[in-house]
Amino acid sequence: MSRTVKNALFWGASKLALILCAAVLGFLLLSILWQGGRAISFDFVLSPALDFGTSGGIVFQILGSLLLVVTAAIMVLPIAVGTAIYRHCYMPRARDKTRLDTVLYALNAIPSISYGIFGLIFFVNILGTGLSWFVGSLILAMMMLPTLTLASHATMGSLPKSYQENAAALGMSQGEIIRHVILPQSSGGIVTGLMISLARAIGETAPIMFIATAFSGVTLPQSLVEPVASLPTHILALAQQSTNPQALQNAWGASLVLVSFVAAFSALAFFTRQKFSHLGHR
Amino acid sequence: MTSPALALTVSENPQDSRGPVDGVRTYARLSILVTISIITLILATLIIQSGPAILSTSDSLLTTQWKPSEGIYGILPMIFGSLFVMTIAMAIALPIGGFAAITVSRIKSPRIKRLWRSALEILAGIPSIVYGLIGVAYVSIWVASAFDLQSGRIILSAAIILSVMILPTFLSLCEDAISSVPAAYRENAQALGLQDYEVELYVILPAAAPGIASAALLALGRALGETMAVMLVIGSLDRIPSPLFNPLSSGQTITSKLGREIGESAFGSMHFSVLVLMSLILVALTISLTVISQRLFRQGRRG
Repeated sequence: MSRTVKNALFWGASKLALILCAAVLGFLLLSILWQGGRAISFDFVLSPALDFGTSGGIVFQILGSLLLVVTAAIMVLPIAVGTAIYRHCYMPRARDKTRLDTVLYALNAIPSISYGIFGLIFFVNILGTGLSWFVGSLILAMMMLPTLTLASHATMGSLPKSYQENAAALGMSQGEIIRHVILPQSSGGIVTGLMISLARAIGETAPIMFIATAFSGVTLPQSLVEPVASLPTHILALAQQSTNPQALQNAWGASLVLVSFVAAFSALAFFTRQKFSHLGHR
Repeated sequence: MTSPALALTVSENPQDSRGPVDGVRTYARLSILVTISIITLILATLIIQSGPAILSTSDSLLTTQWKPSEGIYGILPMIFGSLFVMTIAMAIALPIGGFAAITVSRIKSPRIKRLWRSALEILAGIPSIVYGLIGVAYVSIWVASAFDLQSGRIILSAAIILSVMILPTFLSLCEDAISSVPAAYRENAQALGLQDYEVELYVILPAAAPGIASAALLALGRALGETMAVMLVIGSLDRIPSPLFNPLSSGQTITSKLGREIGESAFGSMHFSVLVLMSLILVALTISLTVISQRLFRQGRRG
C-alpha cells in the first residue's frame, strides 16, 4: 500500500471517529430532550407521584434531591476549604503535598457503589441511623470532598505570590493573610468547584439508594433521620418497570429534569469561572 | 455568651496569646484530619466487614457457583464479568476516542475547539442512571433485534453503554495529551517529508504516550466502578458465559451484583461479607489504577 493511500485511510478513520462521537452526542441529547419533553408539564413537575410513579409527578423527588445535595454542600464546604488552606499554607514539604493529593485521588477513585456500601455498614447498621436524609447527604459530602478540595487548592495556588508577600510585609500574621487575602481572593474558584461537585452529586444513584431514599409514599422529611425521595432513585425504579410505557415516559420526564439540574449547576460553574477569572491571574 | 467553664479553658489556653493565627491553623489542621480519617474509615470498614469472608475455611469463594441458600459464594463469575465488560468497552472506546482526539487536536479555530470541549463536558455530565435509561429504552432493544435475541439485557449492551460513558473523559484527556506535544516536533517531522499519518503515528503519539496511557487507565477505573447503567442492562445472571467469551449472553459484574443484592443480604451474614469483599476488591483495583494514572500524568507533564 502506498503512503498516500495509507494517509487517506488514516484521515478517513479519524474523521469517521469524530463524526461517530458527534452523532452519539447528538443522539443522547436529542433523545433526552425529545422523550423528556413529551413527558414533562407543569403538572408533572408540581404534583406528587402516584401509583408507584407511573402517574402523577415528581415534586417530592425534585425537592428531595435538592435537599440532599444542598445539605451535602453545606457539610463539605468547610472541610474542603480547610484542607485546601492547610495544603496551601501549612505544608512546606512537597512530599507531604503529593501524599495528600494521593489521598484525594484515592477518595475520588472509590466507586460510588462502594460509598453506598460504606454508608450502609457504618451509618445504617453500626450506628443504627436507619434510612435517612442526613446520612445520604453525609455520604454525598464525602464524595464531593476531593473535587472541591482540589478546585479550592488550585485557585489558591494560582493567586499571585505578591498578594501574600505584600500582606506579610504589612505585618499581617499568617492567619490574617488567610482570612483577609487568600480566602476572599479565591472565593470565586471555590464557588466554581462547589457548583461542579453539586452537578456531579445530584446525579448520583448508587451511594444513596441503600441509605437515604425510599421509593413510594415519601413526602418531605420532617427531621434529619427520615428518608427522602430523589430523582435518580425514582428513575431507577421506573426504568426497572420499563415494559410499562407510562413508567418509561415518567422516567424520561424525571431524567430531563435531572439533566436540567446538572446543566444548571454546570452553567453556574461556567459563569462564576468567567466572572472571577479577572482575579488570580499569574 | 460562653459559659464560665468554657471561658476558663479558653483563657487558660497557652496558645491564646499568639493571636488569631492558631485559630485558622487549628481549623485547617482539623479539616485535613477529617479528610484523612474519611478514607481510613472507609477502607477500615470494608476490610473489617469482609474479614469473615476472607477468613472462612470454606473454599467455595474461588468457584463459579453462586448459591447463597446453600452457602456457596463463588465470586469468579462477577470478576470475570467485570473484566469482560470492561475489555469490550475499552476495545470500542479507545480506538474511536483516540482517532477522534487526533482529529480534534488538528482543529485550528479556537472557537470550534471550545464548542467541542463544552459538548464533551455536557456528555460527561449526564448522570449514569440516565445512561441506564437509554440502555434500557434503546440500546438493549437495538441489540436484541440486531442479533435476533429474546432479550437485549446482555453483556454486549452493557459494554456499549459503558463505552459511550467513558468516551468523553478519555477523548478530552487524550486530546490534552496530544495538544501538549510541542509544535516543533510536528514541524520537524513535516520538514523531513513525512506523511501526515506518519507524523501522528510515529512522532506525536509516542510523545503523548504517557498522557494517553494515563487517560486510558482513568477510563478503565471508571468502567470498572460504573454501577447503575451496567446493572440495568446486563441481565444479572450469576454464571460465567458459555462459551467463555460470548458477549451475547447475560452476565453479572461486581458492581451490578452489589447493586442488586447488598440491600437484600442480612448485615453480619456470610452473604453480606462476601459482597463487601467484592467491593473491597473493586476499591483496591480502582484506587491502584488512579494512582498509576496520576503517576503517568505527572511523567507526561515533565517529559
